[in-house]
Amino acid sequence: MKDVLRLAGAQIRVTLRERVSLFWFLVFPLLLLTLLTLIFSGLGEDPRMTFDIALFQQSVPQAEAPDFAGIVEHVFTDASKPVGDRPPLFRLTIHAADAVSRYEEEMERLRLGRLDLVVVVPAGFNDAVLSHLGGSDEAAAPIEIYTSAGRASSTMAHDVVRQILAGVDREILAIAGRFNREAAVSITRREIGTGTEAFSYIDFLLPGIVLMGFFTAGLFSVPGTILFGREQGILKRYWVTPLSTSRFLLGFGIGHMALCGVQFSLAWLLAAVAFGARVSFFSLLPALYLVLAIVVFLAFGFLIASLAKTGNAGMAIANIVNMPMMFLGGLFFPISDLPLPLKILMMGNPLTYLADGLRTSLGVDVAVFPILATFGVPLAWILVSVAVAAHRLRLEEAT
Amino acid sequence: MNALRSLLLAEARIFLRDRMSLIFTALFPLLFIVIFGSLMSDFGSSGGARLGVLLSPDADLEVLGTVLDSLGNIEWRTFEPLDALDTAIEKRQIDLGIQWSGARIEFIYNAHRTQENYAYEEIARAIVSRLELAAQGASSVLAVKHESVGSGSEADWFTLVVPGILSFSILSAGLFAIAGHLSSMKERRLLSRYLVTPMRPSALLFAIAVVRLAVVFSSTLLTLAVAMLMFRLHYDIDWFRYILFIIASTLGTMGLGTVIARVVRQASSASNLASAISLVMMFVSGIYFPIEIMPAFLQKLSLAMPLRHMADVMRYVTGVMDMPDRDYWIILGAFVGLAFALFPLLARYVVTAEKH
Repeated sequence: MKDVLRLAGAQIRVTLRERVSLFWFLVFPLLLLTLLTLIFSGLGEDPRMTFDIALFQQSVPQAEAPDFAGIVEHVFTDASKPVGDRPPLFRLTIHAADAVSRYEEEMERLRLGRLDLVVVVPAGFNDAVLSHLGGSDEAAAPIEIYTSAGRASSTMAHDVVRQILAGVDREILAIAGRFNREAAVSITRREIGTGTEAFSYIDFLLPGIVLMGFFTAGLFSVPGTILFGREQGILKRYWVTPLSTSRFLLGFGIGHMALCGVQFSLAWLLAAVAFGARVSFFSLLPALYLVLAIVVFLAFGFLIASLAKTGNAGMAIANIVNMPMMFLGGLFFPISDLPLPLKILMMGNPLTYLADGLRTSLGVDVAVFPILATFGVPLAWILVSVAVAAHRLRLEEAT
Repeated sequence: MNALRSLLLAEARIFLRDRMSLIFTALFPLLFIVIFGSLMSDFGSSGGARLGVLLSPDADLEVLGTVLDSLGNIEWRTFEPLDALDTAIEKRQIDLGIQWSGARIEFIYNAHRTQENYAYEEIARAIVSRLELAAQGASSVLAVKHESVGSGSEADWFTLVVPGILSFSILSAGLFAIAGHLSSMKERRLLSRYLVTPMRPSALLFAIAVVRLAVVFSSTLLTLAVAMLMFRLHYDIDWFRYILFIIASTLGTMGLGTVIARVVRQASSASNLASAISLVMMFVSGIYFPIEIMPAFLQKLSLAMPLRHMADVMRYVTGVMDMPDRDYWIILGAFVGLAFALFPLLARYVVTAEKH
């Protein structure tokens, strides 16, 4: 057993010495974890940008008539003020009725993405509101909103402005005595699946990143080591020693598992310390899924190594299957309602079942597949991969 | 001239034999389009959301039902009892649950759907604003008219993702032409052999650039065609600016590849560094996610990424996003400048082949 462990140690040292392997094995998963957490963790919570909005006030107030257009302006001005330490939701520029020349200018700025949204309170707005409140058949008072096509910032500003206009609506109706704020509908919010602790994106993401790390390690590192080792004649040197092929593979596998362990520990530490992940992997079922994942992708790596004749061909195969398997395994984004061909790929993908089983066992998602499938499909992949790899290698030996 | 033609043919053959380059430039964009087109066509949208409603015995479904019907692109159905609704939400058969008592409304979310819930919160806000008025028999005073200005008025997020993917494919082609292909030739001492022939190094660089340009041009066209046919996307391409941009950006990114090749001498390391850099750029350049959803410092960082500007220009020349024409020429000029500044460095890299 000593020789096997020595080989495992050598495998670890070689990987840690190679900057490229080190990057893909350790740095890349941590980098991806950091980037995705930074991008998605506060989605929909904190305002991440301050929009630029222009309001054209084309309605002129008349003496002794209520100024509803003024209410619109007032509500927008209030909403553009910073609240506490938070930056303002938007910067507002108000153009008076006589600033006709600025209209074309601002619309051009909007088109070019220099401005996020334009609100126009048209001339005659006050009369239109009065008329509508008076119960005439006239349509409700028009307000115009212009957004910039193809710009996410403009779409986001639109969502904000819709809420503000809903507030303006209620304000005007309340003044007119048509809406009682005290009798407003009471709103509550409830989340299912939170347990006792608040659920965060990092808890959902971390199992996906851990599996991605195991997957890419198996996909690139295993065939890379074997095929390039064969090309450079390194494997030949092993075969002239008393070490049998099975013991070589055992040592290689143990070294690979240890490296995956290091990778997992670093990802978990980063997620827990830097991003406050609370998800706990330290119970039987999650641990079983982690070990299963390492073994599946180790076997998958052997399968690729047996299918390719050269190191470059192996890397090409790995690159081809990498992205589709990763994205169709639901590691980073939920997958549902896929077209049939992609659904078939998803259903045959071991990552789909491992991600589902691991997340369910960690309590961060609800099972989509029965537990038997989450173990059975990856196990089937191990059996098929090992059988094909053994058969191909035997054929190669025979020729 | 014959020599140059032979060199061009040889380069084309080498490219077609190089599986990695083929995958990154030709196959990846297509794969991305097919996968992301299916996964992300509804990104950030709440269209087609499925709502489940549970009514208290004294609540009136008519008011709520009218409000829900007025929202347009959603489906809703009633549930009873509460456990059934909760289970449907948990199993993702329902996206957003509503418990309505007539005076109180509760929105029920699946906590595990962190990436989607913000879109359902948007629906909840729209329901509340309409319901509050409807519950008191009031109707909205405001008639909000919305209009999108600019050339891409019908563009959804995926329509914007496709030009981003094309930019990523140009970046990969440019980077790998030097940091993968040329550095590998150098490592295998093939460049040294070229240098002992009467062939000038500039002819070799010219041949590599021409082959890459042809590949990038065909690959982007094929990707656009697949996107338009499979997902019925529409692009209004300004061919003159499109071709100019492909030439400038391919040459500019080849210049960037030179920097990588100079920094990392081993071919495999240069190629790996190129893929690491392009992957990081992909995430922070607004290719798959809008830049606006990122934290402020990442938004600023994205300005330093060539890929962000490439994606913006590609969206402009494919007619899905407007930008000042001046900005187009500035970005184009920057890539041409990058190529001019770094090609001498590349030429030196080629002629110093025998020293490594």
